[in-house]
Amino acid sequence: MRKTVSVVLVCMLAAVLFLSGCAKKTSDTGPIQIALQAPITGDYAYEGQMAKQSVEVAAELINKAGGVLGRQIEITVVDDGSNPKDSAIAAQKAVSMKVVAVIGSYGSSVTEPAIDIYEKNKMVAVGYGCTALRLTVDKQRTYFFRTCGRDDAQGLFFAKYAVETMGAKRIAIMHDNSTFAKGVAEEAKKALQPYLDAKQTEIVYYDAITPGEKDFSAAVTKLRNTKPDVWYFTGYYPEGGLVIRQARDAGLTCPFIGGNAAINDDFVKIAGLDVAAGALMTQEPLVTDVTTTIAGQFRDLYQQKFSTIPSSPWPVYAADALYAIVGAIGKANSTDADAIATAMHTNMTGVEGVTGPTLFTTQGDRKDVPYKMYEVAADGRLVVHQP
Amino acid sequence: MATFLEQLINGLTIGSFYALVALGYSMVYGVMKLINFAHGDLFALGSYLGYTLLVASSSWVTVHFGLWGGMAIAMLFAFIGIGLAGVLMERIAYRPVYPAGRLSLVVSALGMSIFLQNGIMALWGSRPQAYPAAVVPSTRFSLLGLPVTSLQVVILLLSFTLMLVIWFIVEKTTFGAAIRATALDRSTATLMGIDVRVVIFFIFALGPALGGIAGVMNGMYYRAISFNMGWTYGLKAFTATILGGIGNIPGAMIGGLLLGLMESLFAGYVSGAWKDVFVFVILIAVLLWRPTGLLGEKTAEKV
Repeated sequence: MRKTVSVVLVCMLAAVLFLSGCAKKTSDTGPIQIALQAPITGDYAYEGQMAKQSVEVAAELINKAGGVLGRQIEITVVDDGSNPKDSAIAAQKAVSMKVVAVIGSYGSSVTEPAIDIYEKNKMVAVGYGCTALRLTVDKQRTYFFRTCGRDDAQGLFFAKYAVETMGAKRIAIMHDNSTFAKGVAEEAKKALQPYLDAKQTEIVYYDAITPGEKDFSAAVTKLRNTKPDVWYFTGYYPEGGLVIRQARDAGLTCPFIGGNAAINDDFVKIAGLDVAAGALMTQEPLVTDVTTTIAGQFRDLYQQKFSTIPSSPWPVYAADALYAIVGAIGKANSTDADAIATAMHTNMTGVEGVTGPTLFTTQGDRKDVPYKMYEVAADGRLVVHQP
Repeated sequence: MATFLEQLINGLTIGSFYALVALGYSMVYGVMKLINFAHGDLFALGSYLGYTLLVASSSWVTVHFGLWGGMAIAMLFAFIGIGLAGVLMERIAYRPVYPAGRLSLVVSALGMSIFLQNGIMALWGSRPQAYPAAVVPSTRFSLLGLPVTSLQVVILLLSFTLMLVIWFIVEKTTFGAAIRATALDRSTATLMGIDVRVVIFFIFALGPALGGIAGVMNGMYYRAISFNMGWTYGLKAFTATILGGIGNIPGAMIGGLLLGLMESLFAGYVSGAWKDVFVFVILIAVLLWRPTGLLGEKTAEKV
C-alpha cells in the first residue's frame, strides 16, 4: 500500500516538474504576461494580498477596455515572503518566466535584491511600496521605477506639520531599525534641522524598538519620561498598534503620528479602538480620497469583487504600476524592455493611474506624489485630518 | 527610582514569558537532547486556541464564568490542547526519526516549526488577531506608587507558581528522579526499570502545555497575536535556555527572567536600537566564562 502511494506521488511530482519545465514563451500574440512580486506570505502578507487583489482589479479594468496593442493583460504572482532572500528567488522566477515587466515589491529592503536581478536581466520593474532613497539616488538604474513617493518627502511633510501646524517644542521620533522606518526617521530628523538651528524645537527622543517583539514597555517608559509634545512612529502596524497601547497604558498622552506603514485596520484592531482613535498618520492619500475617474471605477470593481476596498495606500500604487507599464507599452508600441523603459522615462504624458498621472524622473522616481495628514476617527476609519 | 522599579516590573513581566517558554525547551532538551525548534510555534498555537475559545463562543465563557474564570478556562483549554499537540508531535515527527540521530531530529523540528507556523496562517489567516477588550481583565491599581494592572500581577504570580511546581516535580518527586535519570542516561535508566516512553510522553505533554498557558497569557496581556509570533519568542526563550544552562530547570527560569530584565533596563536606560546587540554580547560573555550556562553542570561530553 505504502509503495503504491509513493509510486503515485513520484509520478505526480515528475508530472509537475515536467509541466513547469515547459514554461510559456513570450510571443507577439496572446496575452501580455506581467508579474507581480509581492509579500503574499510572511510578515506583510496582508499588504501583499491586497496588492494582488488591486492588480487583478486593474488588469480586469484594462482588459475590459480592450487591453493594450490589441492584446490582453495576464498577471502572474511571485511571492517574496516579505524577506530579501526569498525576494531574489522570486525575481529569478519572474525572469525565467520571461514576463514583459514586473510590479514590485512592497518593502525597500525586500525590493533591493530583486531589482538588481531585474536590472541585470533587462526587465522593467516598478516598485509600489519601496520608498527608501537609496533605491534610486546615485544608482543610474535603467529599468527600475516606482509609483510611490520617497522617504524624504514624508519626513519633510512631518517636520513642517509638527513645528509649523502643531507648534511642537519637544519632538520624539521612534523607528524600528528596518530600512524603511529608519529611513523615514532619519529624513524627518534631517528636515527638522533648520527648526533645531533656529531653536524653534528640539528632538528629545530618538531611538528604535525591535520589530517582531510584543513588549515595548521599556521603550515607552523612557519615551514618557522625555515629556514629548508629539511622537512620530515610523515603523509598521503590528508594532505600531502594540506600542501606542502600551504608551497610553504607561500614561503618555501626547499626539501620536504614525508613518505611512503604521496605521491600517489591523493597527486599530491591535491597539483597540479606544486607544487608536485620534492617532494621526502622514501618508499618501487613500483610494477613498482620490477623485480621478479611474479611482472611481477601481473602487467599484474592487468593492464588487472583494466587498471591501484597500485599507492602505500601497496596494493602489501596485495598480498604478500596472497602469504605468501598460501605458508605456502602448506609447512604445512594443513589449521590448528598452522601448518600455524609454517610454516611461520620457513619454508618459497622458498616462493616468488610479491616483493620477504617472510621470517619472530620469532616476525612475514618480513625480508629484502628494501627502496628507490622516486621523483614526472615533469609529476606526481613517479620515483626512482637519486641524 | 520609580522609573527604575517600573522598568524592573516591565522586565520581570516579559522575562516570565521567556522563562515559561524556556522551561519547555529545557525539559525537552534535557531528556531528548533535542532543540525543539517547534516549541515557539506551539506557544503561538496556544495563543490561538485560547483566542478561539474566547471569541468563537462569542464570549460565552467570559459571560458565564467572569473575566478570570474565562481566562482560566482558556488557559486550561490551551494547556490540554497544546499538551496533546506536543505528544502528537513527538509521535509523528520525532519518534520515527530518533534512531537516525540528532541532526535528523533537528531538521524534523525545523520542519515541524514551519508546518505549525503555516498551519496557523492557513487556519486563522495572515492578519494579526486581537483578544477583544471584553475578555481581558484590566483593572488598574497602584502598587507602591507604580501603575500596574491586575492582569500583570496575576501573570507574574502564576508564572512563578508554575515554575515552582515544575521545579518541585522534577527535583523532589520519584517521577522527577525518573526524568532526571532518563536525561542522564537513557539506556541505563531503562535497565533500572524506568519506563522511558512514559517519561518522554510526560515531557512532551508538559513542556509544550506550559508554553500553551504562556501563549494565552501573552495574548491576553498584549492583546495582539500573529501567526509568526512563535519565532521571536522561540528564539528569545532558546537564548534564555542557553544563558541559564540548557537542560537545567532553574537555569531556564533564571535565564528567562534575566534576559527580560536585561532587555528592559538596557532599552530603558541606554538604547533600544542596541538592545539585542547588548543582550547577545552578554550571552557570549557568559558562555566564555561558563560554557555550560549560568547553572549548567560541567559534564564531560559522552561520545
